[in-house]
Amino acid sequence: MPTQQTAGGFESMMPYLVFGLYIMMLLILGFAGWRKFQRSRRGEEDYYLAGRSQGWIVSSLTIMATFFSSFALLGVPGTTYREGVVFALFALNVPIGGAVIYAFGAKIARIGRARNFVTPADMLADYYGSRHAMRLLVALIGFLFVVPYVIVQLRAGGMLAEQLFGFQNAFEIGTIVLAITATLYIIVGGMRSVGYADVVQGLLLIMGMLLGGATIVWRLGGPEAFFEQVSQLPASSLSSPGTTGFWAPAMLMTAAAFGALGSLIQPAQWMRFYAASSTRTLRRSAIIFTVVLTSCYIFGVMLVGLGGQVQYPLQYLPDGGVAAHADVGAFDQILIVIVKNNLPAMLGLFGAFLAGMIMIAIMAAAMSTADANVHAFSAIFTRDIYQRYVAPRSTEQERVWVGRIVIFFSIVFSLFLVFLSRNNPQFTPIQMLTNMALLGIAFSTQLLPATVDMLYIHRGSRQGATAGMIVGVIVVFLSSPFGNMIFGGISSTMVGVATDYAKIIDRGALGLIANLTVFVLISFFTSRPPLGKIAEYVALSRGRRKGEPVTASTMQEVR
Amino acid sequence: MPAQTAAPGRTLGWVLFIVFVIAVVMGTGPGIWLINPDVDGPSADFAWRGIPIIYLWGLLWYAVQLIVILTAAFTIWNEEA
Repeated sequence: MPTQQTAGGFESMMPYLVFGLYIMMLLILGFAGWRKFQRSRRGEEDYYLAGRSQGWIVSSLTIMATFFSSFALLGVPGTTYREGVVFALFALNVPIGGAVIYAFGAKIARIGRARNFVTPADMLADYYGSRHAMRLLVALIGFLFVVPYVIVQLRAGGMLAEQLFGFQNAFEIGTIVLAITATLYIIVGGMRSVGYADVVQGLLLIMGMLLGGATIVWRLGGPEAFFEQVSQLPASSLSSPGTTGFWAPAMLMTAAAFGALGSLIQPAQWMRFYAASSTRTLRRSAIIFTVVLTSCYIFGVMLVGLGGQVQYPLQYLPDGGVAAHADVGAFDQILIVIVKNNLPAMLGLFGAFLAGMIMIAIMAAAMSTADANVHAFSAIFTRDIYQRYVAPRSTEQERVWVGRIVIFFSIVFSLFLVFLSRNNPQFTPIQMLTNMALLGIAFSTQLLPATVDMLYIHRGSRQGATAGMIVGVIVVFLSSPFGNMIFGGISSTMVGVATDYAKIIDRGALGLIANLTVFVLISFFTSRPPLGKIAEYVALSRGRRKGEPVTASTMQEVR
Repeated sequence: MPAQTAAPGRTLGWVLFIVFVIAVVMGTGPGIWLINPDVDGPSADFAWRGIPIIYLWGLLWYAVQLIVILTAAFTIWNEEA
């Protein structure tokens, strides 16, 4: 029938239309960021921190968009689909993140503004008086977080393009288009372009998460019928520790707590605190983050996972394992399968449009995390390596250009690895890097003791902070699959102990315990930073203006 | 005035911090065992009024976390730039 053919033809064009609009919008926003950057001083503060002028709308949405990677829209509903309702409790990590945005962010923003800091290492190295070791260590932790994340997000974008279009080489073309787009808008306008793009991408991912939840609830007959059917799921899906038994309370609590803490003090987020126009901005961002993002989890993707078990029951294997339903394929495809199979059937052409929008929302989650991390990596390289060790006399404008080159090459390198693994099944760096991406948060969690000490406790020493970080990173590494791969034959006992504990509690928490123990012990026997430095940081973190003297009461307090 | 005169807010800050930590421990940690259905029990209740108990447990502790953050935001989080 001609009408149906027309509708079908238009429906098949829908993914191209939605994807085209998305890419065009990112480029326009990148251009807007560039216009604003051109009217600024064009220094490092402008390029990396948007002149420390981001208002609450941009700040809250760019913090949210950076926090939620493709894991939030693929991994979280997929894990809930596999494990059942116990993983819905993971949503409680978001309010922890909300609290951190103000509790840490406001102090970081005030001190950063007063002392013109750009990277996390700028602040930690200055406070502890470390010229080299701590700066390099903090830069290394940032590097360990950033690089794998970028690669994984680009790969996720390519996979989504493949799902969206389905033609041959859709993965390659999709990945290249996304990479070129990201390169263009990050390079031209820096944080301003990234921030503007993240506003739209943040709104898209909020819409995608909530719409995904609404789709499955609607498909199963409304809220009452939905929960009635969910309540009939197997006992293991409705109780702790879930279907596979992995998410026992100790694991769930430490993953939720340190996942949020690690994610919110990683370099890209730290720089977003610097970039906020005021602490009022961060206060509002914390509230919006807590209310909106937790709702997206609890009333969005978590319901997708639970409803997914109703619509596509799990397959229980003879060996005691569990597999996704044959129509789903892999656990983390559950959101995609639900929207693609239900929305067009329920709403026709409009449903196909909404399904396309949700696919774009997943892509936006990947892109917004990748852009923030590439941008942060550029800052880390230029400030902590290039300026310190390669060209100490370089100008700010020169360093901004070096940063742009770093952005270009880091994306090209990421693309190279993505395609290398795609074309050579014997070489699977992406699998390794996916594992590393999961470790990224565990690595960045190792900044926590030094950060808390610098902002609140003021008892730690440079030696303690440095040794603690080194030990924390080593423990995280040993407890990872890479530890066993590299050191398994040399020190199997140590690796075995670390790996065993990592099955009980989160790796970040495991590293943190070791980190904190060493930090406290060594700090006990060594000197903390000079009192004048501590008092200055305390005063600045409480809102003292640059140049105002430190009061006697503050000096007395830090003694 | 800067927040250097924030002594009254300090007590409230500690109270809110402790309540928040309790919410994390109860909501995602060992507190789950208080309401976790006994999967081997003959009359295990997995739902209350048609909603999974663990899901409701999460909502409850989310509400506590949210109240703590809103209270902090409107009382002790000062707004100097």
